[in-house]
Parts: sequence; C-alpha cells; structure tokens
Amino acid sequence: MTLARLMTRLAGASIPTALAVLGLGGVASAAFVPAGDLAEAPLDDVYGGVRPIRIEQAAFESTPLAIRCGRLLTMSGERAIFDPGMLLISKGRIEYVGAPIEVPDGYQLVDREEAWVAPGFVDLHSHIQTGGWGDINDMVMPTNAQFSTRSTIVPSNASMRRAMAAGVTTQLGIPGSGTSISGFGVLYKSKAKATYENIVLQDPGGMKVAQTHNPERGAGDLGATRAGLSWLLEEINDRAVDARDSGRFDPALENLVRIQARELPVLIHCAGNDGVAGTVRMWKGRYDTRCVVSHGSFDGWYAADYVASMGVPVNHGPRTYNFTLGIREGRIVNTTQAYIDAGVPDFSLNTDAPVIPAEELFLQGTVSAHLGSDPYQMMQALTLGPARSFGIDAHVGSLEVGKDADVVIWSGDPLDPRSHVEVVVVDGDIQYQASHDGQWF
Amino acid sequence: MRTMNQRFTKAALGAVAILSAALPASAFFGDDESEQDPDVYLAIVGGDIYTGTGEILRGATMLSKNGKIDEIGYDLYLPEGTEEVDAHGLRVYPGLVALKATSRLTQGTFAPGLKLHEFVPEVDHPDICGDCGKSFEEIVPSAVDPGEYSTEHLATDGFKSDFDESFDPFSGYMVMALGNGITTVQQSSTAVKLKRGEVDGVSLSEKTMTSMSWSGSNPSGKADLREKFRDAARYQDELRRWEEVVKKDKEAKEPSKKGIDSRVLAILQGATLAKFSSNDRDDLLGIARLAQKYHFRPVIEGCVEGWCVADELGRASAYAIINPRVRRDRQENLTHDNGSSIENAAILTRAGVQVAITPGNTSIDMGGISGRDLLSLPLEAGFAIRGGLDERTALEGITVIPARLLGIDHRVGSLEIGKDCDALITDGDLLHYQTFVQYTVVEGKLVYDKQEEIFYKNIRPRPEPDVAATDPGEAPAEGASEEAAASEETPEVEAPSEDAVEEVVEVEDETVED
Amino acid sequence: MKMRKLLFGLAGALALAAPSIAATSTPELFALKVGRAETATGESIEHAVILIENGKIVTIGQDLEIERGIPVIDRSDLVVTPGFVNCYSRAGLSSSGASGTQPSVQASTELYPRQELFGDLLKAGVTTLGLYPPGNGIPGQAVAISTAGTTLEDMILKEGAYLKILMASNSSSRKMLDGAFEKVEKYNETVEKAREKWEKSVEDWDKEHKQRKKDEKDGKELKPEDPKPGDFVAPEPDAVAGPFIKVLDGELPVLFSIRKAGDYLHLLKGIGEREFNWSLRVPLRNDIDLFKVADQIGEKELRVVMEPRLTLMEWTMRERNIPDELTRAGAHVAFIPNGDDLDNMKKWRLHVGHLVKRGMDADAALAAMTLEPARELGLDDRLGSLEVGKDANLLFFDGDPFQPSTKLVSVMSGGNFVGDEELR
Repeated sequence: MTLARLMTRLAGASIPTALAVLGLGGVASAAFVPAGDLAEAPLDDVYGGVRPIRIEQAAFESTPLAIRCGRLLTMSGERAIFDPGMLLISKGRIEYVGAPIEVPDGYQLVDREEAWVAPGFVDLHSHIQTGGWGDINDMVMPTNAQFSTRSTIVPSNASMRRAMAAGVTTQLGIPGSGTSISGFGVLYKSKAKATYENIVLQDPGGMKVAQTHNPERGAGDLGATRAGLSWLLEEINDRAVDARDSGRFDPALENLVRIQARELPVLIHCAGNDGVAGTVRMWKGRYDTRCVVSHGSFDGWYAADYVASMGVPVNHGPRTYNFTLGIREGRIVNTTQAYIDAGVPDFSLNTDAPVIPAEELFLQGTVSAHLGSDPYQMMQALTLGPARSFGIDAHVGSLEVGKDADVVIWSGDPLDPRSHVEVVVVDGDIQYQASHDGQWF
Repeated sequence: MRTMNQRFTKAALGAVAILSAALPASAFFGDDESEQDPDVYLAIVGGDIYTGTGEILRGATMLSKNGKIDEIGYDLYLPEGTEEVDAHGLRVYPGLVALKATSRLTQGTFAPGLKLHEFVPEVDHPDICGDCGKSFEEIVPSAVDPGEYSTEHLATDGFKSDFDESFDPFSGYMVMALGNGITTVQQSSTAVKLKRGEVDGVSLSEKTMTSMSWSGSNPSGKADLREKFRDAARYQDELRRWEEVVKKDKEAKEPSKKGIDSRVLAILQGATLAKFSSNDRDDLLGIARLAQKYHFRPVIEGCVEGWCVADELGRASAYAIINPRVRRDRQENLTHDNGSSIENAAILTRAGVQVAITPGNTSIDMGGISGRDLLSLPLEAGFAIRGGLDERTALEGITVIPARLLGIDHRVGSLEIGKDCDALITDGDLLHYQTFVQYTVVEGKLVYDKQEEIFYKNIRPRPEPDVAATDPGEAPAEGASEEAAASEETPEVEAPSEDAVEEVVEVEDETVED
Repeated sequence: MKMRKLLFGLAGALALAAPSIAATSTPELFALKVGRAETATGESIEHAVILIENGKIVTIGQDLEIERGIPVIDRSDLVVTPGFVNCYSRAGLSSSGASGTQPSVQASTELYPRQELFGDLLKAGVTTLGLYPPGNGIPGQAVAISTAGTTLEDMILKEGAYLKILMASNSSSRKMLDGAFEKVEKYNETVEKAREKWEKSVEDWDKEHKQRKKDEKDGKELKPEDPKPGDFVAPEPDAVAGPFIKVLDGELPVLFSIRKAGDYLHLLKGIGEREFNWSLRVPLRNDIDLFKVADQIGEKELRVVMEPRLTLMEWTMRERNIPDELTRAGAHVAFIPNGDDLDNMKKWRLHVGHLVKRGMDADAALAAMTLEPARELGLDDRLGSLEVGKDANLLFFDGDPFQPSTKLVSVMSGGNFVGDEELR
C-alpha cells in the first residue's frame, strides 16, 4: 500500500481528526485563509464561493504523482495533445504537462504506455447528489432562490462513486425543475470516499432556473402559463436588481443579488425554440447575468443563432438530436452540432442524471459524434466547455499547470464505449484503480 | 434516381427483365431452370467481409442467388443481370438479430392494437395453438426423436405464422432498424425477417422458448417445477426402456403420460428451450442446478447477477440474454458477490455461457435520447467489450447467438454459403461509434441505402464514387475481382479529424478458428 | 371526337326518361348552347351544342347548326359538366352495422326516398349516389341511386352496384375472404354432386324405361312408371356463396377498403390467382403511406376511391399528392367528398380544385368526380360523361368549376332543371 493511499484513507476516515492534528477547529475551513485566522474567518468565506479544505488536505497528504501515457489530451485552448505524454502532480495540482521527461525523485510513477489520459469530465446538470430521485424538488413556492442543495448531498453515494469511476470528476448538483427557481446547486468533485468538506469545489455553485417545460403547474393559478412563469421570474429579479442598486440587504434576495451582480452563474432549464429564445432574452438581454442555457431540446436549435449572437453558452442534453418533436424537418438533426455550428460559446453536454446515468456522460459525446460531430469537440464539450461556461476553468476542465489534478486514465478513446477507465485521480489523489478496486463501470 | 421505395419493389422485376433479355437461363444452368422463374442474383463486390465465423476476407465478393449466399471469395463469376453493390473500401458484416424487439418494427405506425396469440403460456393457460387449433400434445409427438417437432413447426422455409398476415412491409420503423443494421427481429415469440416491401416468407420460426418461472419468492412454484421435471425425466427413461422391451414383448404396456407436463417434456426432448427471467444470484444457482440435473440448457433472461455464479451456469451450458449496462446496486451487507457488473458478459462467456446482448430499451426512441434503444445494438455490444468481452464474441452476441435462441441459426447470424444473404455494408468497424451502415441487404435484396432515406442522408453524406472504382451499372468484369483480390491492406477507415480514434487492434486477425 | 353534323329530331335514344322533381320542366326535345362543355372524357368542347331528347343526350358537338323548330336554351356564358357522382356514401342512411360476413345484404333496403337531403345534394350538383351498407368485414352490396327521384323505383338505378369488403393486415381478414371463396367451392362441389346424382337418376330412368319397353313387348306385367326426371335444377347457393359466385362470374364487382400500403400487398395475397373485377377504397388520412405502392396499383390500372386530400409523408412535412401520383402511375382515381355530409359535398369541387392547383391533371380530376365513379357503380353506359346516349345530367357553372369564385348556377337531371330557376 502506497503512502498516498494510506494518507487518503486517513483523510477519509476522520476529517475532524485531521483538523485536530492541524490545530484547527471543528468547522470546515477556507483554504486561502491562514490557519490561525480561521476562527475569525467570516462565514461568507466559508460558503461563499471560496475553495474549502480539500486542496489544503491534499497539500499535506498526497504523494506526488507522475503519469506517463500513450496519448495525453490536455483539452487546453491550444489543442495540445501529446503522443506520448506526461503529467506531474503534487499538492493536489498539476505541476507539469507535456512530453515525457525524467520522473523526479519522490514521485510515484503511473506508467500506462497504451492509455489515453484526459481531464476529468464536468457535468453541469446532475441530480445524483441526493443518491436517488428524492430531495430534488421542493415545490411549495414557485421561486426559491434561497434554497441550496448542500443539505441534500449524500456524499459517497453509489451513483457518485460510479460516476467517478467513469471519469466524471466535477458535477453541479442542482435541484429539479418543478419550480421556476428551485435554488442553488453545489459544485463538487466525485470521490471514492467523500464528505461534504473534501468534495466541495464551490458552494453556492450556481442558481438553477426552470424557464419552461416543467414548472407549468396547470393549476389555474399564477405560473400555469408562460406569461405567469415569466412574470414570476421577472418580478423577483427586478426586486433583486433594485436591492443590488440600492445596496439594501434583503435576506430573501441575497443569493439572487449575487446573480444580478454577476458574481455567480445561473443554469436555466429550457427547451423549444420559443423557450430557449425567451430564456436568453430575459436572462441575458434584460438582466445581463452569467447565464447558461441548459437542455435546449427539441427544436431549441432553431434559436441557436440568436443564442450565439447573445454570447450565451449552451449546456445540451440529455436529448442530443431532434427528429419528430417540435417541428418535422424530415431528417435527423444533430442538435449538438446545430448549436456548435451556430457558434455558441463554450458548448457543453450533460446527462441530467439520473435521467441518463451520470457515468454515461461520455456517451453523450459518443452519440453526437456518431451523428457527425467532431470527437475532439465532443471531448471539449465534456471538459473545458462546461468549466468555462460556469467560470470554474481556473480549477478544472483541462490539464494545465496550476489547475486541480483531476486526471482520468482510459484504456483507449474515452468516447468509445469499448474503452474503460483504468485510474481516476481527483485533487491529486488516486480515487480509483480498476485493477485494484474492480471495474465499477 | 429511383427512390428506395420503388427500388426494392422493382429490383426483382428489373433483374427478371434483364435476365429475360439476356441469354435464356438454360444456356447456363440446364433445361430445368428455364421452366421456373429466372434466378435473381446480387453481388456485394470488393468489401472486407467479416463472416462472423472468425474468417475475414479482404476485398472479396459475396454472391447471393435467390436470397441465399451462393459464393464468397475472389474472382467470382457474376452472371449477367447480377445487381451489384459496390463495397470497395467498406466492410461487410452479417445482419444483426434483435431479441424482444418492439412490434412497431413490423406492425408499423398504423397498426391496430394487434394482440398475437401467445402460444407459450404461463402455467394456467390452456396449451392450445391459436394458429392451428392443435393441442401441444398433438404438435409435440411423443416420439423420442425431437427432430420431428422441429421440422414441423420450427425454423423451416415456408413457415406460416400469424405474423405473416399482419406484417407491415412498409413500416418506417423497419427502415430505421435496417439503417442501423438489424435484419432479423423477435416479435413476441416469432422470429421475423425485416423484408421490406414484401409479405411472403417473413416468419422464420415461432415459440422456440418456453417461459418458466423460478423465483425465491415462490418456493412452492420451485418445488412444483422440480417435481414436473422429475416426473418428465422418469417418463422419458421409462419410454426409452419400453421401446427396447416392446421389440421383444409386444404386450408390454406403454408408460402413461398422464400427469406429465407436456411443456417440460418438450424441454427435456430438446424441442424447445426453457426460458427463465431471473436476476438474483440464488435463483440463478437454482436454475443452473436444475438444468445440470435434468440435462437441459436453460435460457436466462436478465441474468444480472450471473457473473456471481458464472461457473455453475457454464456447467449447465446456459444461455444468457443480458443488457451489459443494467444497473443494480451492490448490497453492502452481503458478503458474497452481488449486484450488477459491467463485466457480466465477459465473465459468463469465459465460464462457457453463450451470451446474447440486448439494449435496455428494445423499442425505437425517437424523442432525442440516443444510444440506449434498439438502434444502438452495436453500441451495446461495445459495452460488453468494455467489461472485458472479446470483440468477436460480442459480435456473436448480436448475431449468431440470438439466432440460435430463435432456432434460426441455420439461416442467419453469419455469412456462410447456404445461409440467407442478410448483410450490412458499413463504412468502418461496426463496433466503432462513427461507423454508419451504408447499405443493408436482406435475402439478397438491397433494402436500405443510407443516401436514399430521409434519416441519415444529410449526416456525413456518401462522397461521389471515384471514377476508378467499378461502376455498378457495368456488367461484371473479371478484372474488378482481380483488383480487389490484389489489395491486401486494410482499407482506410474514414478519419473525420486528426484527433480521431485510433483503430482498435483487430482481434480477428488470427487464422480461422472454431 | 369532333362531330360536325346537322341535327335532326329523334336519334333513337333509349326509352327510359328520367323523371324530375323540378319545378321547371323542359320540352321533350331541345338544344342547349353553352360556352364550353367539359365532357369528362378528356375532351373539352368550345361553343358546344347539346341536343337532348327525352332526357338523354342525342347529339353533342362544337358549333353545330340547330334545325329550325327546336327550342334553344342559349347560355353561351356557362360551362357545363356532367353531374357529379359520389359512388361511396351513406347519405340519408342511418342504421349501424355489425361485423361479419353478410355479402347478401343490400343497402337499398335502408333507403328512404323522400328526404330533403337528397334534394339538397341534387342542388349541390350530386346527381348520382352510390350508397354502401354499414358495418365491418363484408357488410354487403351497394346501391346506385339518382338523387332526383321521389319513389324507390325512380331513385334506384342499380342494386348490387358493388360488394364492399374491408381488408386489414391480419389473419382474420384473410380467413374471412378465404372462407367466402371456400363457400363458393363447396357450393360448386354440391352442385357437382347434385348433378351427378341427377345424371345417375336420368340414366337409371332411361335404363328402366328401356326395360319397360322391352317388357311391354314381351307382354310382361308392367310396374307403374316413375315420372321422368325433369331438367337439372341446381341447388340455390346460400347467402354467402351466392354473391361470391356473381363476383367470380364478373357480375358483381368488389370494392376492397384498405388503409395502408401493406394492406395492399396482403390483399393481393388474399386474392391470389382468382380473377374478378375489383377496385380499392383508401381513406386518405395524414401520414398514409399508399404512395409506396402507387407504381404497383398503376400497373394494374386499378380504380381507387379516395378523398381529394393532400397528405404528408411520415415524419416529414413533405406533401404528397397521392391522387396525382396514382393517376400518373396509371391508376384511375374516383373522388368522394372529404366528408359524407352536405357541406362537404357542396365544397367537393373546390377541394378537388385544390388538388388540381397542386399538380393533378384537371381532366383526370373532373373524370374522378364523374366518369370514374360512374364506372365504379357499373353505370358508365348511361352516366358520368357528356356523350351520346347518356342521361342528360348536367351542371352549369359560370366559370371553371374548380375555381372557388365560380358558382354552380343550375343543375339539370334527366333533361329537367332542378330548382326554381329556369334558364333561358
């Protein structure tokens, strides 16, 4: 058993113990706050978009890794691919990316001559944080901007672990689409042994909105129609804008103000030509938020040009083609490609897990590639695309020096179902090894 | 350019017209032939033929005569009037066989809610064949030789079934299936060939599997079944002994069949296969042991935890119908293996179980979610490979093994002389996700051309043929086959981008094996 | 056909004069001058002159000279067509049908003559109707009627115009058809047997008779003689065999109602080698795939009864003009209105006109409303076109009948105007 694994096990066993060792208090602490100041650190820093302890831990505990492989897909902007390639990882971050070099002392070498290496995937539309179908929707009020999924997270649940074993290392765990604003999601890492503290990447991660195609309650009350739904959204957003501009503090609007202040992104479930266009018109046109269109299914691709002209990213899925729903083109339309061709920035794919099992995120790229999309662009849609569209590309989405070491070693082309994951590294720690843990997927 | 619709209904007529305009058939084939309809030929020329028997012939030609594979090889003589499909640079695979497929394939979108008679009943249904009115006993003779049963009611040409009358040869779903490589499907308990545009000879076999129930939640059912098998086995022994004895002593009394379950007897005689829908490890163990004791080969549908008891199932020479991606969480409180495993197919195969592969959804999903329905059969086989199954066996899992379960492996499932000419012509490795079926041939007729149907023709459209390539309209020349034979290298698979997938090392590059 | 003859009196027309319910009656012999006559045979006659006697057309031609003394109705501003024939309708019939094999049922038994509906239909231009019996399976035989009649006698033009059979793709349809033909075979066997028996009885009688003569000569005692067997009388066929015998003899045509392309192939299988007159009825809905067998139907030159409707190709917005496709392939289309109600029958020609705008040949379209349905009813010897010898059922339009702006100005049935207007 390697030192790294021993450390990981200790870390998983008892964080409070570790903290006690470090002389820190019982509360999860912020990474960038010097240990001594933690007791005085404002709660804001703890929950408010600052990276918590996991990297700090990694810094102390993990063994540096060197990964050598046959094909290294960095997914970085310059399309850097190394055949063969090498990564050096330490303190939870990537230290070196490039052609193979001599492995420095103290680095554990993971040598896979035939393997492909890629960054861990990022799924921005996932509901598996609860472990099942429950706890996803709280549907008493139509707008719930103050809700958060943080308390619904069941860390280390089977779906999460399986997702990790299939290369999905970062997910946005969001509430459902039963209400217009269902709350905020948490950006977290998928790990073998997870606790809230050691997986959270950013909390709040982003707001979840359902613009159309589900929150219609049809009960005859407000919100039964698009007109009602839109008004619900605009009314509360207008109030948030007012609070933002006047500097007035309203606890009910606190999170929404952050959206209007462009501090946090918002993910909007919408579909259909009119739904997608309406979403962009409202959230980008009227409010200029950091919004991302999610789903965009059926004939939503008809609005692709408009979405692109407004510079709004699209997070597409689980439906990735259109044939008969919405409009009958008389041909199978690769809607993924339609959005990409229109030039939407930072295009990404999702699973809407568990609609599609989270571990099959790669398959979304596969099926679009089958219908003609470029496989490399599909890999981007699983990595850098989602990371950039949600503003977390400083940490994840590609294998570049300084980013989190979320690395997945594949037996072959990640988009090919015949390939499987051999090793998963998250935050610089080996989370999963197929040869050792058995093949989970 | 003729549309597909006209093409396949006219192909036969066209071939007939050309042939009758040419020299009389008797000039080539002898005088008997000139009395009948002229022979119809189709040749798939110059492709890499993956026969499914382990053999790969590169740049070869396959000739079909009247729907059956007549020849596979090089330098074939193609009779005048042979319709040619240019497969240069392409691969040829056997047509896929889909189990439990949605009835929309052959009943179409306009089908009235047709309920076909389920011959193989649950325990309490009467054993009467809805088609012919005979009782099961009448159909399964008490003769020892089960061969009599199989030639009567199973898997022969000219087999008649209810499906023959209700078959919709123009179903749009059928075209989608053909475009994704599926040429034979199981509809209810009938094996049906997707013969587009025709209504004759579509049913190939019926009721080759009898549904049985074996479940831990029904212990008395299990005891009941065990007893039936015991009684039936005993009867079989007595019958065999009596048949010896009666040769000398005419007075010897024939053992009574009273109280013997006829379905169980048919299973023991090998006339049908026993099919269990079972996923739990303990149930699978029980089935395996029952099968081993009474010497029959069980078919286990589902078999989620099969990998936990693979060896036992292998000893029973079982068949498994599995979905590689099925998920069942492991129960942590149990000490033994349980739950689902992606390696299920591989582990079962290694233990000697024959694995047929089905997708999670055996219908055709047109709502936009791709990769999980009947059209993704090759993808599903890919997931079995993910779990460690070798490529050749994975392909068998969607061709010849389901054919075997349906009792039609003498006709479909691989490309061999004498079998039906059901072939797919693809632009790459069938198991690779970027590959498309370019043409589909069913019983020697071209029934699908990717560029002629609305579905995929705009997606990576086929480039115009090279001037150098053989013109399909020309009369077949010896030269064409020679050229094809001469090129021994692997034809280049279309690589859409520089970063495209590496070609997976071919497992089949071995010598012909069993 | 161009006729340039002088007209003289009687032309030996058929005896029957069609009665009228019109308020206005016309002379026994008169001439009509119209701007154009669309004869429905493919010929269009400008400045047509039509001579009508006793309700029949005796002469028709272009710019013919009219003999002095023959009254002339001059409407050179109008276009005439034959009266419309709707060969497949349940107008005015109200019973519901069962499901089963009852080919002997006659739709005429449901007919109740004095209905306002028939008068309205007549005024709308529908001069002839083919009424079919209700129900599934083999519901029975249709009756052809004239809408201008007040009694059953006046109205009924032909009973047993066609036998309706509904065929679906399933084994029970097949069994139904096979069963009916089997009954014919059984009947034939029965007749054979009966004939053999009769022949034997004749033979026996002859023998006995000879013997008797011989005995007479010999002076032997004579037994009373049985009467000589009469002529052979075949047993009556039953209610199923009877109509199907007529079908196989060519006396009773069949109208098969099917719903999709696949049904057509199954139907061909069901018919097998048997030869008899049959046509198709296909309701055109939405995504119907009938165009997939248009070539085959065209090759057989079948008649297809259908609505004048554009359909869409499955899963696409691609329009198909199936009546046009069938016509071009060689089939004969007989139109029926989009719905079996007065409103649709009034708009019928406009719906057909829409199809003409979308490519269908105008002559074929007109024939589809007149001559083809007349053929379907077996009445093309007396109806359906403006030809010598046929009934004078005429429709007068103030323009192209397929244009929405055109009005139907007047209707003539059997030589008499319908309604109050009297054309001069």
